[in-house]
Amino acid sequence: MTYRIQAIDSSRDITCAAQRLQQLSREKPLATQLILDIFDQWAAALDDRALRDIPGLTFLRLWLRRGNLEPIVLRELGASALNGGWRDDGRARLRAFPLGVVGHWPAGNVEIQPLLSLTCALLGGNCCLVRVPSRLVAITERVMEKLQKVDSNGSLTERIFMASFNHSRTDLHEAMAKTVDGAMIWGGADAVAQVRGLPFPHWTRVLVFGPRLSAAAMDAETWGDRTDRFSWCRRIARDVWQFDQQACSSPQALFLERGAGCDPDQFVEDLKQAFQEENRHHPRQQIEPALTSAISLARASWLLANDGNSALFPASPDWTILLGTATEMPNPTQGRTLSVLVVDDLLKVISSFDGTLQTLGLGIKDASKEEMLAIAAGRSGVDRIVKLGRMHVFSSPWDGTELIRPMVRFVRHVPSED
Amino acid sequence: MSGLVAIEQEIDSLLLQPPYGVDPKQRQTSLLGLLKKELAYACEQSPRFRNYVEHWPTDFRTAESISDLPYLPVGVFKANPPLTLTGSDQVKRTLTSSATTGQIPSRVVLDAATARRMAKGVTTIIRDFIGPARRPYLVIDTSQNLASQAEVGARGAAIQALGAFATEVVCCLRSGQDGGLSIDLNTLLACAGKWKHADVLVYGFTYIIWTQLVQPLRREGITLDIPNVHVLHSGGWKRLTEQSVTREAFIGGVASVFGCSADRVVDYYGMVENVGVIYPDCAYGNKHVPAFAEIIVRDPLTLAPVEPGQRGIIQVCSVLPTSFPGFLLLTEDMAEVIDYDGCPCGRRGISFRFAGRVPKAEVRGCGNLGNTRHHQLQEVGVA
Repeated sequence: MTYRIQAIDSSRDITCAAQRLQQLSREKPLATQLILDIFDQWAAALDDRALRDIPGLTFLRLWLRRGNLEPIVLRELGASALNGGWRDDGRARLRAFPLGVVGHWPAGNVEIQPLLSLTCALLGGNCCLVRVPSRLVAITERVMEKLQKVDSNGSLTERIFMASFNHSRTDLHEAMAKTVDGAMIWGGADAVAQVRGLPFPHWTRVLVFGPRLSAAAMDAETWGDRTDRFSWCRRIARDVWQFDQQACSSPQALFLERGAGCDPDQFVEDLKQAFQEENRHHPRQQIEPALTSAISLARASWLLANDGNSALFPASPDWTILLGTATEMPNPTQGRTLSVLVVDDLLKVISSFDGTLQTLGLGIKDASKEEMLAIAAGRSGVDRIVKLGRMHVFSSPWDGTELIRPMVRFVRHVPSED
Repeated sequence: MSGLVAIEQEIDSLLLQPPYGVDPKQRQTSLLGLLKKELAYACEQSPRFRNYVEHWPTDFRTAESISDLPYLPVGVFKANPPLTLTGSDQVKRTLTSSATTGQIPSRVVLDAATARRMAKGVTTIIRDFIGPARRPYLVIDTSQNLASQAEVGARGAAIQALGAFATEVVCCLRSGQDGGLSIDLNTLLACAGKWKHADVLVYGFTYIIWTQLVQPLRREGITLDIPNVHVLHSGGWKRLTEQSVTREAFIGGVASVFGCSADRVVDYYGMVENVGVIYPDCAYGNKHVPAFAEIIVRDPLTLAPVEPGQRGIIQVCSVLPTSFPGFLLLTEDMAEVIDYDGCPCGRRGISFRFAGRVPKAEVRGCGNLGNTRHHQLQEVGVA
């Protein structure tokens, strides 16, 4: 039972699909419990050896589990949402209804993003029109095949229309934009600006997840502790390797707070070992020559900039550790290139972030210090503060915004017979 | 004898060898030894360069192959001030690359010795393709590019490098008040009449030859009728590709305008950072490397040298520069290795074909920021 994403060449195909989805969304409401059931079965079905090569699949499975999603639904839509009922709000009642059809423009660099995006809208009871970037078509089809299998009645799959077309086809993007009630847009600065400029109807609710960077930070008590150091390094390596360090949640820099008796050179030796280990388990299968050039340039620029700077890297572009001092986020290179920057005061560095940073991965021994850093990070525009090793775990809120609630309407009913 | 003097003597002796007659293994051995000495010298001169070399995964002193030596990406020459191994009082010229709009040009500094070797290198290579005789030299560009200046662009450097072959130099373009170029037809036709039976050297950037010479002359139905010409051109195909002009169409157009055979039109690859080394096409369409240089084509995935028939990123190697660390440079260009020896043209060593610039990265994902919020706000005067 194969799932095929449709290669679209005409705006009529999109309009027809949207008409069908609009009708479905109006005439066939979907119970949240049923959605959660199917998602849970989908998560189980994705535990398949044949799919293990798909980057981020583990995160998708974690996301889809009922144990993960149910609390999110409860928090965002309220307790009654699970059973489709109303909830009291003083003398009135509130109930979530879907927007209708939600269009999805996922980024091309995160393999599971089309799926994460559509699940958010489905949980609100919406139908989905998804533009799948060409690079992700094959992977998305493999994952959707599993959904098709567990969703034997087609309750969810009939509410999804996946289309593939060249990113330069403005006419098709426009056709899609004109038909949606909600839009979830993910990606880099240019892509986001382009999609935002499409002719959405005035009622379309647009949710943008634009480009962000992420970083990690550790206090001296953590990175200087020899017993736990290697396991922390493994966590960092995992965060760097996922999505080839191209995701908004990928750490580009690791700030190490200076500490008496703590040697950053020893730390990066452990980190190097962890990177080598991760690289053995997850070697790159291909690379764009432009990224190879960028990695070579990052290594050279760093070492030529200051003869006090240091670096560890193999002859290949597989991974790079740049060690030195700085108090600001460096320009990201991606491609498994991590800047390890020794700083005097983490609080000062974190307080200087400018909203560009999405996720801060932390390794901090002292809980009160972590509390202080978390507040500073929040004030400085950071939207996610998590333990190192969990930087990519998809959850709500994301980029500081809820994921289901923006794609529903809350209807307020004040009973007439009061 | 100081280290530099010994190095310079070795370079000079390599420049005296037939450029394409050295056995590849012998060349590997002689270049490897000399490049190691040059790296050691560069490390003495520049602590920053030494820092780079010391962090290279293998020690260059024990390297058994040129491909194991530490190389720099050409992008580092976009830094200002430029990377140098010599005092500012020794700098004779600065060469700048032909960066397109919005790009930062590369800059390399030449002292007198490097400048002399640069001229010698180019002369040695070109002589092998067109012979040693001096002849009239027609430049498809303006005379401004002949001026001796402290800072010279890629076009000027390429034009001036061929000056050693000239008995007289004529530039056949003029620049208008708007900065645009136009052909000086009277001068050109006078030269054509005078040089009808002479051996003539012509040089111009590829797109300039096409847009400023071939297209206007074709429109006018003019043939210059200089059959003994050698037309050398360089600078890349990007602009002609954008105009859907194929290599064959270009060669055919040039040959018809000069009234010469197609084999007299020679494309060469080169860059300002790789001073003194250019790579003209042989009669079989392949590019070759002279005795004082080497080319390594690296697999982007592993950065290891590729097998014949495979494509990769070009690394250029040259022993000629001593005023800047341009011995071993990873370019932003791609090539296909044809073979590591045995081109039917008889030139020894690697033969390769240029395969365009490294394509820009296509995926522009959620981690691809472009600019920080702070910088964006600064641009609008808020931060």
